[in-house]
Amino acid sequence: MTDDKLIKFEIVTPERTVLKEMIKQLTVPTKAGEITILPNHIPLIATINPGVITLKKKDETPEVLSVSGGFVEVLKNKVVILADTAERAEEIDIERAEEARKLAEQTMKDMKRTDLETFTNINAVIAKELARSRAAKIWRKLKNIPK
Amino acid sequence: MAKTGDIKRRIKSINSTKKITKAMEMVAAAKMRKATEAVLRTRTYANLSWGTVLQLSQITGLDHESHHPLLTKRKEIKKIAIILITSNRGLCGSFNTAIINKAYNSIVKHHQSGKVGTDFVLIGKKGRAVYKYFGYNIIAEFPKEDVVSQVKEILPISQMLIDDYLAGKYDKVMVAYTDYVSPTKLIPRVRQLLPVDITTEDEYLGVVGKDTRIGIDKEYVQEKQDKYLYSKDKKLAHEYIFEPSPKEVLNEIVPRLIEVQLFQALLESNASEHSARMAAMHQATDAANEMVDELVLSYNKARQASITSEIAEISAGANALAN
Repeated sequence: MTDDKLIKFEIVTPERTVLKEMIKQLTVPTKAGEITILPNHIPLIATINPGVITLKKKDETPEVLSVSGGFVEVLKNKVVILADTAERAEEIDIERAEEARKLAEQTMKDMKRTDLETFTNINAVIAKELARSRAAKIWRKLKNIPK
Repeated sequence: MAKTGDIKRRIKSINSTKKITKAMEMVAAAKMRKATEAVLRTRTYANLSWGTVLQLSQITGLDHESHHPLLTKRKEIKKIAIILITSNRGLCGSFNTAIINKAYNSIVKHHQSGKVGTDFVLIGKKGRAVYKYFGYNIIAEFPKEDVVSQVKEILPISQMLIDDYLAGKYDKVMVAYTDYVSPTKLIPRVRQLLPVDITTEDEYLGVVGKDTRIGIDKEYVQEKQDKYLYSKDKKLAHEYIFEPSPKEVLNEIVPRLIEVQLFQALLESNASEHSARMAAMHQATDAANEMVDELVLSYNKARQASITSEIAEISAGANALAN
């Protein structure tokens, strides 16, 4: 049965469904570290850190996504990721991601007195943009796209 | 017969009213388009996350170690809070009346099983009617934007209610909103938000019939379990692993998912409000058109009658002179 060896994968954000595919394997950055999910994984729920999700589709083609947080629910051969924001690497404009990150870092440096809330907000932006540019870089490497 | 001048004046006034209702219809249509887009975008997320939370509530219910206060049903219900989502302005048909009545009915049902205190949290100005007509206590009123875009906007509300619930001020939190099924099918609905509990009886939720999305919650979770969690002999084959720990995961996930539910309820209400207003204004425009048609008819009749009588008078006068 080939069916058994595939995972029903779905990643949704409050804005849209980013990807819905049958896949072979999936690597997710969780709070406790990076985990790889293969078919017949036992049920699991974990919170996601900002980072890069990589997966292998049915036909062995890789796919890279950036994610800024959320959680992953693993059921028997079905994975649902409820992400805060997520993007496919091929949709990410690497220059703009880098720029956004630099801008956020600059804001953080410039701030003299920061309350905790803005500080965490900016930190989250930096982590998100970092994840985006990392995802885009990995994608370029995979596809051999020159810089 | 009314004088032609009077009729003319009425036609004019109806026509200007018609212009207003027509404009309001168009504004509502534009807002509805935006609101509908928003509601459809988040619906997948909201439904999937609600499924997850319900699932969690059932599974952690079996296991005492991973108990979470937001998922635990309280034995005695003394006080409930209802979040009532209404519109800010009227002229939207029975939209507000329907949802307020629904909330009222649900309270009456609660009273059947003993004395229960009720507090209201309002989103939208028209909800004030609950105090005016039923005398219920209103503890907070939040302003409502016509077009909501970010989850952030409902954070203060959900935070307040989660805190109050944890502090034991309320034993149940419900949300009354209008579900947007299609532009012509808007269903007022009362739904339990806290504690998250799959075994809640449907009548409390105010769900009637089977064609509603809430009604299929149980079936959906059951199906999900049968398919993905249970082994063939209907025993729980696997338990969830939580990473890093059940407590940490639940602490993070449950409040977030409740926010999302509330946000979704607000979006649904917004889409419903605008389509209700659009329909109401469309009807008003149609009614104005009909009235103008009728009045034009009677205006023409009156005009003709007056001309006829004038001619009759003149010819009568001419006849008299000729003789």
